[in-house]
Amino acid sequence: MKLLRHDLHLLSGVYALDAIDSDLERDRYQRHLARCHNCSAEVRGLQEVTTRLAMATALQPPPAMHGKVLAAVRRTRQLPPAADSQPRRRPWWGWLGGRSRWLPRFALAAAMVGVGAAVVLGVILAGTQHRLDLAQAQNRAIARVLAAPDARVLTSSTSAGGTATVIVSPSERELIVTTAGLRPLPASKVYQAWLINPRRTRPAGLLPAPRGGKTQPLLTTGVSTGDKLGLTVEPAGGTAKPTTTPILVIPLRA
Amino acid sequence: MMAMDPGDIHRARPEAVPGRGGEPDLDGLLVLVACGDESAFEAVYGQLAGAAYGLIRKVVRDPAQSEEVAQEVLLEVWRTASRFDPAKGSAATWVMTIAHRRAIDRVRSVTATAARDHLAAEPAPASDEVAEAVEASLDRERVRHCLDGLTELQRESITLAYYGGYSYRQVAGLLGATLSSIKTRIRDGLIRMRDCLGVSG
Repeated sequence: MKLLRHDLHLLSGVYALDAIDSDLERDRYQRHLARCHNCSAEVRGLQEVTTRLAMATALQPPPAMHGKVLAAVRRTRQLPPAADSQPRRRPWWGWLGGRSRWLPRFALAAAMVGVGAAVVLGVILAGTQHRLDLAQAQNRAIARVLAAPDARVLTSSTSAGGTATVIVSPSERELIVTTAGLRPLPASKVYQAWLINPRRTRPAGLLPAPRGGKTQPLLTTGVSTGDKLGLTVEPAGGTAKPTTTPILVIPLRA
Repeated sequence: MMAMDPGDIHRARPEAVPGRGGEPDLDGLLVLVACGDESAFEAVYGQLAGAAYGLIRKVVRDPAQSEEVAQEVLLEVWRTASRFDPAKGSAATWVMTIAHRRAIDRVRSVTATAARDHLAAEPAPASDEVAEAVEASLDRERVRHCLDGLTELQRESITLAYYGGYSYRQVAGLLGATLSSIKTRIRDGLIRMRDCLGVSG
């Protein structure tokens, strides 16, 4: 235990340099940082040092870059502040308060519960129908890929353990990914698929939560020649660009 | 170990919003950027674009790809400025962390499969090559001076990891050292740099 802690403390430097390539190890260290005040203070200091290392590399950027970035800024919407940093609001039932007497308030609340239940039920039913439609469409698409004469099966192990299997049909420009035995993720994380080529990286869907260690097939469309399939660990809900090192990259060349 | 005098504590948390009429520093500028202020973004660009581009060039090497990554990074600064938390570190650190991460992502995603085999054979970048100067800067001189104060092995480990974009595992492989000795060297080296640069934690 002592050795383990000692080892964790030693990670401040490589963490400050962003030189930890294992998500597992980085996550573990970040959890440690949240608890260890001295360590987070040390990391902050060392990160300022790495910033100086960065500033020392300053070069004149290509002159055209300025205009391009500002043009992109003008048409890019910004993220709102993170939810957890927003000031705490009154609870949603707060407006029920005030001067009204207890009974009307109770009646109103009861009525709201009724309406709410009806709305929720409706949403669930609509959602179920929608999911069924989606599932049927997905099954048809999967069958199409499987039946394509040029369908090929590729299997590769991942750095998060387990294997990923890809069935790709260049003529249909579609592929299916399934996995088995990948390291389970906390609810806050998800495995995200990417289509990667030297020009750009496109999100290709989120792997469904595994059942019995295996994930249901994920269908990805719009595959083009030269693409590779990548898998990364991302925050739940996925991201627009990969934020972690892929646990797997499979070239899809025909 | 973390010698911190009381003066540092007061300076540690910069004012998030600059006073009216005061010259806003980078942290304050970034807060304005989070509110959608394009001119504040231009000022941030003026102060950090060169360093972001330079750092990305160091890692990625290819000028065209580096420019692409630098543009992505600066746009991300605009887009996610509301996520910047001055309590967690300076604005420059926040931006350079994004730049370094994106540079590494680019290097690894392009070569993820091929490079792993290559890596061991690839010649290590010259470790004393800190920056091809465009303009002389005091900052650069101090960094160079402080890097010179490290042991050869500390300097090599730090520059390979940071400028080379290698993980510490890869650095260990390249230098034929154990993981724990690389961790120790990098930490000791950075602490020595911190003291030499007079950076307050």
